[in-house]
Amino acid sequence: MATIGTDEKDLVARCRQGDDDAWRELVDRFGPKVYAISYHFTLKREDAEELSQEIFLKLFENLHRYDGGFPLVAWVLSVSRNLCIDRYRRKKREKSFRFVSDEAVTALLKSEDDPAGMALKKERTQLLFAALSEIPDDLAEILILRDLNGLAYDEIGTALELPEGTVKSRLFRARAEVARKIRERHEKRTAGSAFASLAMVAGGLV
Amino acid sequence: MSCRELERLWDAGATLPETRAHQAGCAECGRAGDVLAQTVSALHALRAPAFSPTLRQSLLDIPRRTVSCEGAEPLMAAALEGDGSLSAADDARLQSHLSRCEACTETAKTLFHLRELSAPAPPPWLATRLSAVRPEKKRPAWRALFSGRAVVVYAYAAACVVMLLGLNPTALPTKTGFARLSQSTRSAVTVAQNSVGDRLGALQEKAFRMVAVWKGHVGGYGRAAVSNAIAIVWRPEPKKTPNRPRLGKEGSSAGIGDYRLVMSETPQDRAVDGAREHFPARFRV
Repeated sequence: MATIGTDEKDLVARCRQGDDDAWRELVDRFGPKVYAISYHFTLKREDAEELSQEIFLKLFENLHRYDGGFPLVAWVLSVSRNLCIDRYRRKKREKSFRFVSDEAVTALLKSEDDPAGMALKKERTQLLFAALSEIPDDLAEILILRDLNGLAYDEIGTALELPEGTVKSRLFRARAEVARKIRERHEKRTAGSAFASLAMVAGGLV
Repeated sequence: MSCRELERLWDAGATLPETRAHQAGCAECGRAGDVLAQTVSALHALRAPAFSPTLRQSLLDIPRRTVSCEGAEPLMAAALEGDGSLSAADDARLQSHLSRCEACTETAKTLFHLRELSAPAPPPWLATRLSAVRPEKKRPAWRALFSGRAVVVYAYAAACVVMLLGLNPTALPTKTGFARLSQSTRSAVTVAQNSVGDRLGALQEKAFRMVAVWKGHVGGYGRAAVSNAIAIVWRPEPKKTPNRPRLGKEGSSAGIGDYRLVMSETPQDRAVDGAREHFPARFRV
């Protein structure tokens, strides 16, 4: 019985020989994951699709570099990482994350009958991504890969060339930083609403 | 924010009850942990974005739109051929790849640089040298009849013919009258040989005698010279006369008429004295 590594190496070898079935298998196996990662880094459907295509073009052109030494998903991730990070930084420079659209958030939420509940979830998700954009890139990257895409620690470690302990440590710091940012925003809102209430009271008195 | 104990516990791989125990005792970590848990659960609640069939089809078409690095090599070779062997579709795939791959772009540039190379100018002396070179003339066939190998063949063939015809070459001089001439010539040669031999023998004997005389002279003088040289270089110490009993001048209490052995202090003398004691009494002094 062939192991997973041999299977993946064989799959890549068949892709290199121009086997369409093998390429289809590769696209079906990793396409959704690559698209999801791209989406989480860009938060825009068109950008995510463009990024996914770029990633798969690069994968196809670099198939000969895969030697089967580690899981294929880690290799896919390592090939696509630079493209994703480049796009992510560009988006941050453009400050696109500060205004995450409803449409972008809706794609990530399960549809719900209750409009009020749905609105609350949207707001929370927008707040989440806004907080994510404020933490350092190396932390945000790990949080996206682990918490949004469910990649294993060893896969992330292989792709980012980091020890597993460092991945865990960074993940904790990323979560804590995001949590702190969210709390700060809540506090600002609370303070803002309290100040507004006070102003209204004061206005009524005047 | 928190006291960082939560982070330490998490790094150390602490279990959930251990983390909660710390959160219960630490107000800061308790609040931070609650927000953290809500954040993580919110992140996990998000679903993956839908992977559209259009995107899937586009990804499946990638091998028809571009080419890998190793697949680009034969396409570059075909493009270099330049006789239309590279189809438009393959050219588009190659260009698509080159637009993204720096290494292949450099490779293609280097390859296509071949076409821009001009032919080197010939050196000025080349035409002269080439015109001076002439093909070697072919030897005519009849010259082979007079080659050295052909002469040997002719000689063997003639010998064979003579033997086959029954002719005896040794009897030929007798038959032709050359035998008598041969006899007289041979006797004259013998006389000359003897005369020369006698003279040479006398000379040789005289030479041997002279050599013997000189050899004797040289040997005698030489031996004398060598022995003199040895005598000059190596002078042996004069032999000591054996110790004999004397009148005891060295002894303190020796008187006249009192014979006693005076022992020398050298090791050689001690050995002689030791040996002397083993001699029979009649030989002792």
